[in-house]
Amino acid sequence: MAEATVEVRNPSGLHARPAATFVKAAAGFASDVRVTNLTRNPDKTGSAKSVLGVLGLAVVQGHTIRIVAEGEDADQAVRTLVEMVQSGLGEPVEQA
Amino acid sequence: MSGSTLRGVAAAPGVAIAPPWRAPEPVARAAGTLVHGLAESSKRAAVELNGLSARLQAVGRNEEAEIFEAQAMMASDPELLDVAAVLEAEGTPADSAILAAGDQAADVLAAIDDELLAARAADVRDVAARIARIMRGEEPPSLDRRSIAVAVDLPPSVTAELDPALLAGIALEAGSRTAHAAILARALEIPAVVGTAGLLAAVEGATQIAVDGERGEVFVEPDAAQRADIDGRAAADAERRAADAAMHDRPLATANGQRIMIAANIGGPDESARAIEAGAEGVGLFRTEFMFMGRATAPDEATQTAAYASVLSAFGERPVVIRLIDLGGDKGLPYLPLPPEENPFLGVRALRLADAGHTDLIVTQLRAILAAGERTGRVPWIMAPMVADLADVHRLHELVGMASAGRELSVRPSVGIMVEIPSVALIADLVAPEVDFFSIGTNDLTQYLLAADRTNPALADRQDPMHPAVLRTIRQVVEGGHAHGIPVAVCGEMAGDPSGAMALAGLGIDELSMDAGAFGGVKRAVASATREQLADAVARAMAVERAGDARTIFDELRGAAPAT
Repeated sequence: MAEATVEVRNPSGLHARPAATFVKAAAGFASDVRVTNLTRNPDKTGSAKSVLGVLGLAVVQGHTIRIVAEGEDADQAVRTLVEMVQSGLGEPVEQA
Repeated sequence: MSGSTLRGVAAAPGVAIAPPWRAPEPVARAAGTLVHGLAESSKRAAVELNGLSARLQAVGRNEEAEIFEAQAMMASDPELLDVAAVLEAEGTPADSAILAAGDQAADVLAAIDDELLAARAADVRDVAARIARIMRGEEPPSLDRRSIAVAVDLPPSVTAELDPALLAGIALEAGSRTAHAAILARALEIPAVVGTAGLLAAVEGATQIAVDGERGEVFVEPDAAQRADIDGRAAADAERRAADAAMHDRPLATANGQRIMIAANIGGPDESARAIEAGAEGVGLFRTEFMFMGRATAPDEATQTAAYASVLSAFGERPVVIRLIDLGGDKGLPYLPLPPEENPFLGVRALRLADAGHTDLIVTQLRAILAAGERTGRVPWIMAPMVADLADVHRLHELVGMASAGRELSVRPSVGIMVEIPSVALIADLVAPEVDFFSIGTNDLTQYLLAADRTNPALADRQDPMHPAVLRTIRQVVEGGHAHGIPVAVCGEMAGDPSGAMALAGLGIDELSMDAGAFGGVKRAVASATREQLADAVARAMAVERAGDARTIFDELRGAAPAT
C-alpha cells in the first residue's frame, strides 16, 4: 500500500478536463486507487478510476486530497498521480 | 398568456422567433420490453458519445468535443454502473435503475456549492437518459420544423444532436452560462436564454415565443412591437453573417486591390479542415503547447512529427508557421517541473527553457518539425516565442543546428521569431538580417509595452493594441523587416478585429493570422478603404490620446466608405 497527501492548486480543481486527466491516469494502474478530500470530508472516499467518484468529492482549488493505492504498482500510481496534481493536471497553476 | 416577458440570463447571442418545442423529459419507465441490457447499452452510449465528440472535433470545436468525451467516460463509469446493477439485482427494471443511479450521482454533484461542478449534474442525468433510451431501443429526439427548444435544462447531447437548421433558439428554466447547453449554443451560434423562472408554465400552449440572447429575455406570444424589434435585429444579424459569408471566395485586400495574406491560428491538426474550408492561405500560428498539456509525459518525437506532418500536408503549398512550445511557470506540466516564480510572464518560459535545463524538450520539438518537413517535402516555418535580442536569435539558430545534426536535410526550414518583447521590436532592423520572418504577437507586445498584466481583469481597458505606442512599435517592426526583405505578419487578436486589421493593413503588414471564424469580418473591414486611406487613418491613430480614439477613426472610416 502507498499513500500521499497533496494540495490541489489548479483553478478548476478535480473536475471537467483535469478530473478526466486524473481518472484516465489512475485507470492505467493495476492497483486499486482511492481518493479522499481531507478538506471537505475526510470520511468519504471515491474511486480514482471513476469520474463520478472523483467529481463527487468536490475538490476545488486549495483543497488537500489523500491518494491511497493498493496493489503491485501502488508506489508508482501514487507518485505519478501526486506529480500530476502538483503540476496542475494540464491547467495553469497559480504561484504561491 | 399573451405578450408577457420573462427575464433570464443571456447565454448565447442572437435573437429568434419560432414555435416552442418542449424537449422530452426522461420517462421513469416506458411500457414495453427492453431491447438491450446494461452492459451493452452503456457500451453503445459511449460509442455514440465519442461519435458526437468526433463530429465536433472535425469542425474545430475541440472544447465542446471534450464535453462528450467526458460524457463517454461517464457512460462507462464503474460507480454509475455498479449502482445501477445493484438496483437492478434488487428488482428495479434496468432502465429505471440506470436513471435512478444517474439521479443519485447528479444529486451529489448538484449539492455542491460550486457552479461549475453543479453544472456537471446535468451531464450525468443526460448520460443515464441516453443509456435508458438505448435499452428501450428508442431513437433520439428530433425536430420536424423550425422551433425554439424549451426545457428545464436541455441535455447537452440533445443540443448537439438536434438539426442545427431547425433549432432556432433555446430557452431554459434552469441552467447557467457555464451549463453545457449554453456553451454548445454559443459554439453552434444558436441564441439562448437560461435561468428563466416560470418558463415552462408560461409557454404552456403558446404558439409563438421569442428569445433575446443578448438581453436575456423570453417573450411569450410576442406583441407587434416586440416582433418588429426581434425581426429587425434578426435581419441585421443575418445580413452581417451573409455579408461575412459572401467574402468567402474573395481574398483579403484593400478597396484598391492591395493584397494581404490571410492565415489561420490553430491549436492542433484537427483544426486544419475548418481553417482550409474557411479559405485560409496558410497557418500563421500553430500553437503547439496544447499537444503538451493534459498528459503525464511529453509527446515523443514520433508523435510530434505525425502531428506537424499532418498539418503540413493538409496545407500543401501554403505556408505553416509552427510556434515552439510557449510555456512557463504559469502552466505546470507533470513532466516539466518549473520552479514557482513571482512573475511567470517575465520569467523562464518558452525559448528560455532551453537554458534552464530543458534543452532536450526544445531540441526534440525542433527535430520533430524538421522530420515532418522531410516526410512531407514541405518547408516548415519555425517560430520562436520570447526572443529578446540578437543573442536569443543566435541561440535559436544553434538549437536548430543541434536538431539537424547528423541529418541530411533536403528541405531547409524557414526560421523566424515572434515579436512580442519590446526590446526585440526596438532592434528589429538589427535582427531582420538574421531571420526569415517576423510575426508580431500583439497580445503580449501590448501587455509588455504598457506594463499591464493581461491576466488582471482590473487592467482590461489597458489591453488595447490600438494604443498609439503599440501602433508605433508595429510600424518600427514593419520598417525593420521590410528594409531587409523579410515578411512581417501579425498573429495576435488584433489581426482578427476589424478595426485592428484595418490599422495593420495601413501599416503595411504582409499577413494577418486569426481564428478562421473572423475571416469574413476582417475581409469586409479591410475592403472598405483604400491602402492610402488606411495609411492616413493609422498615421492619425498614432497621435491620439487613447486606444478608444484610434478605434473611432477606423469605425468612422469603415462606416463612411461607400459600399463595394
